[in-house]
Amino acid sequence: MEYKQIILVAGLVALGTGCANVERSRDLANPSVPGKVLAEQVCSNCHGIDGNSKSPNIPRLAGQQPGYLTNQLNNFRAKQRTDPDGSINMWGISRHLTDAQITGIADYFSKQKPQSNASTADPGLLAAGKEIFEKGVPEQNVIACSACHGPKAQGIDAFPRLANQHANYIVKQLTVFRDTQGRPGTPMEAISHPLTGANEEAVAAYLQAFPD
Amino acid sequence: MVVLAKHVEHIAVRATGIISGLATVLVMLAPSQAFALPAFARQTGQNCVACHAGGQFPELTPYGRMFKMTGYTIGERSVPLSVMGVLSYAKVNDTSKSDDPAADFQKNGAPMFATGSVFLAGKVTDNIGVFIQNTYDNYASQSAEGRFKGHSSADNMDIRYADHFIGNDRDLVLGLSVNNNPSVPDPWSSAAAWMQYVPGASPTSHQFADGPYPGYGAGSNLAGVNVYGYWNKTIYAEVGTYRTANQAFSFMSAGIPNGGTTHLDGNNNPYWRFAYSREWGPHNLMIGTSGMNAHVYDDPTDTSDPNSLSHIKNVGIDAQYQYLLDPHTVTAQIAYMKQKQNYSVNSVAVAASPYFLADGVTPVATPNDSDTTNTLRAKLSYIYQAKYGGSLAFFNVTGTTNTRNQSSGYDNSPGSGLITTNDPNATGITSTRVGGNLSGSPATRGWTYEAFWIPVQYVRVGAQYTTYSKFNGAADNYDGFGRNAKDNNTLRLYVWAAY
Repeated sequence: MEYKQIILVAGLVALGTGCANVERSRDLANPSVPGKVLAEQVCSNCHGIDGNSKSPNIPRLAGQQPGYLTNQLNNFRAKQRTDPDGSINMWGISRHLTDAQITGIADYFSKQKPQSNASTADPGLLAAGKEIFEKGVPEQNVIACSACHGPKAQGIDAFPRLANQHANYIVKQLTVFRDTQGRPGTPMEAISHPLTGANEEAVAAYLQAFPD
Repeated sequence: MVVLAKHVEHIAVRATGIISGLATVLVMLAPSQAFALPAFARQTGQNCVACHAGGQFPELTPYGRMFKMTGYTIGERSVPLSVMGVLSYAKVNDTSKSDDPAADFQKNGAPMFATGSVFLAGKVTDNIGVFIQNTYDNYASQSAEGRFKGHSSADNMDIRYADHFIGNDRDLVLGLSVNNNPSVPDPWSSAAAWMQYVPGASPTSHQFADGPYPGYGAGSNLAGVNVYGYWNKTIYAEVGTYRTANQAFSFMSAGIPNGGTTHLDGNNNPYWRFAYSREWGPHNLMIGTSGMNAHVYDDPTDTSDPNSLSHIKNVGIDAQYQYLLDPHTVTAQIAYMKQKQNYSVNSVAVAASPYFLADGVTPVATPNDSDTTNTLRAKLSYIYQAKYGGSLAFFNVTGTTNTRNQSSGYDNSPGSGLITTNDPNATGITSTRVGGNLSGSPATRGWTYEAFWIPVQYVRVGAQYTTYSKFNGAADNYDGFGRNAKDNNTLRLYVWAAY
């Protein structure tokens, strides 16, 4: 049955030839793979093809500011973002991305349409969150989130979009800003410092449920 | 070295001590980086928990399932080798009802290096990836003097080609898997090949550690070609067919003697698997069904006679629920497998149970030509911070009672029947202690409780305790020698490590 072995080997060789499938590649070390392809083939597995991730463990990227996305991918690649989620999930996967690929990935997700994010938070919590978002907490020296993130929480360049982001993710990041050096070089470190846990829960709930 | 050996021997007096000690050594030897360890982690640069739910193996997260379904091709080519080892200790509740406890409960209460595996695993091209496991069993066989001998053989193998098509309204993964074990290509851990996460060991003291799992009657070390598709992360469909792992596919049963492999009839032993999955918030759910239709030769070394083919049909349903939200991981799995085996014409023709009723005069009933078994396994696990976990599992096997399956019974000694292992009256009829089956029923039921600790992502230390309320068809005296199901209750401690 020698011919069967030949067929098997020939089949594997045939499958292996033309192995660079750049249009649908998941190769993170091939600079010729466009950022859009990596966004679809790799990033989308967690963040969603349209950037509206389902798991609260994973941030939504749909409609995110390209400047912010580029900064974060650069920080992951340079291992400067040391919060656990960043190092566990993002350091390795971004380690050999080129600047052009990072720009392509940022462009892809920034153009996706954000979807509403179902919330079961109670109206009292949402109202408290709205107050913090729009007016800050003057007695705690917390400025309004909208001052930098925009009146519709849409973000501005390096300031990220927050509308419809998972509340769990926002609380987690606020904790990183407040308690660690995991995300250096951001004004959030100082801004988040006076926030209480209750403040964070409220504003995060409001941002997840953000009204259109 | 002698001093060191004596020191280690001294420590070994208490198994819990040595196992925790070894765990500590492993932790100390380990590099401090929190990522980039076994082959797939090196390939993606991610931590194990990105793909494995709560860091437990082999259960996959939604991303881990996509990594597998897209043919292990995410990331970049790296050194595609990993190793895994298991240190194990088992203690059976009662070893007294045995003629030869040293043989019936080998290595009982003795810590040992149980198994080790080498993996060739990783991305080959943009579309091709492999997962090839070869396992060394340190207790594979025994010499005439009773010394154990280790042996390596093919374990799970999965060679894939996959593509992922993405459009405005389309998300479709299509793939092909060449593999050696039905359900190995499956991405969910309620599938037969993946529900059991810690490999056991050969010595008979380990035979009762953990209970039976749903599986396919045709067994593993076959050769199969399966095609699969996953549409919009919702519908999964896989069909395949299996044959004997010989000729061009002999590498899939490498290390296993011809007489030890399953020999199937031809190339047409179909396997199928369909599943519905859904993800919402931190939750994800899969409900699925699978089955196989196989024709298996009674004697693997003689495939010349079609009358020596038995026909095994498996149909299963399974479901898995995961809740993944830091720092919590909750998993619930349930799997049920029904198996019907029609025995071969030859086997039916010669089948006559050797045993008698207690009077030693009346033969037991004529054996049935077929058997049906139903195996249920349910498991609930919780892990905190991907470090501290516990699980609770229930297993229940029911099935037809058949005198064909008796391995213990009364002989026809003068006066009245005897159940013996040594046949004092030369009747030619003997029975099996400990593993014996007096009833002809497969009914087995019990629970496995487990607590484990994952000090670093590639080391796991665990304690399992398995209890039986029924074994081989009975709660009491299941082997005819007075052994009760609860005598098989087993404590097992293990240290698992991979690199």
